[in-house]
Amino acid sequence: MMCSDREAQLNEYVDGTLATGARALVETHLAQCAGCREAVAELRALVDGARGLPRTIEPASELWAGIAGRIGKRETGKGKRWWGGALAAAATLVIGFAIYRLLPSSTAHDRREGRGWVAVQADYARAADELTAALATERHRLRPETVALLEHNLGVIDAAMRESRDALARDPGNVELRGLFAAAARQRVELLRWATRVATSS
Amino acid sequence: MQADPSDLIQRAQQGDQAAFEALYRAHVGRVYALCLRLTADVVRAEDLTQDAFVRAWERLASFRGESAFSSWLYRLTVNVVFLGERASRRRARRVFTTDDPAALERPGEGSGTAGGRVDLERAVAALPPGAREVFVLHDVEGYRHHEIAELTGIAVGTSKAQLFRARRLLREALSK
Ligand SMILES: [Zn+2]
Repeated sequence: MMCSDREAQLNEYVDGTLATGARALVETHLAQCAGCREAVAELRALVDGARGLPRTIEPASELWAGIAGRIGKRETGKGKRWWGGALAAAATLVIGFAIYRLLPSSTAHDRREGRGWVAVQADYARAADELTAALATERHRLRPETVALLEHNLGVIDAAMRESRDALARDPGNVELRGLFAAAARQRVELLRWATRVATSS
Repeated sequence: MQADPSDLIQRAQQGDQAAFEALYRAHVGRVYALCLRLTADVVRAEDLTQDAFVRAWERLASFRGESAFSSWLYRLTVNVVFLGERASRRRARRVFTTDDPAALERPGEGSGTAGGRVDLERAVAALPPGAREVFVLHDVEGYRHHEIAELTGIAVGTSKAQLFRARRLLREALSK
């Protein structure tokens, strides 16, 4: 039997994690204590036995089919094409606003859609909030490169929306501006919807 | 011609499933051994092995080759096991069944020390979960206490205490 108060010390001795001084003290004790010597021998045999266990065990069942079925669901090609499209569309929006700013302040005000416009903005905001919340709990399932791309695209779209909102503040009834803002808002919702779908299906 | 592993990894990173299957074939034995020893449960180990490879596929882009692919994969496996085990322990305080020697024996492997090895596998499987996990990670897999702490979320002191307890219980079980 080992001296019960020396369990940690003897384990650390076997693991080689004791400082020199402590190690010397253990060795002095071992020279006098047969029980601890025996315990050290057993611990060494155990550690050697554990190291000697086979590194690999082949599973009795074929597991690949189940894995292939689950990873097959990721539509890499389609996703990439979609991203390309989103990026191009967002870039077009930004260019669109740049051109708009070069034009003289619009005189073509159209106030017929006043109420509808408020509803469109509210719908967009609600959808974006719901999707953002859903995505927040699932985004860890997305690959880092996908998250990076998502954030980049959201950034481009948000910049476009900020520009359109500023322009609309100066020119509240402008139908073209509203169209651009609505397109960016739709794009943003679509992007979030896509990311949420990918995250929850992976 | 033998495919270069880094080429396999690159192809898998680009979405090549056949390349990923080759990586699976090369590593499944090691991943499964880890899952089986950590859980002492054949069915759980098979599920977790599949989960680990699915996760690896999803995370392949984050593998940048600073470490060996194998160590990246085994760490990811330990993460998957601990997330899964924590969840399943919350769902049901399941008693681990350990009397499944068939799962831990590998017929036709070695002979001289095979008896001792099987006894050790059985004794490890019979340990309480916390002690078993640390013993497998430290003494079988060779992780250090600070790595175990990082991988599993327990304190370094707890990792040491569980290891010493596991070794005590194993010495008792094996001396019978
Ligand atoms: Zn002693």
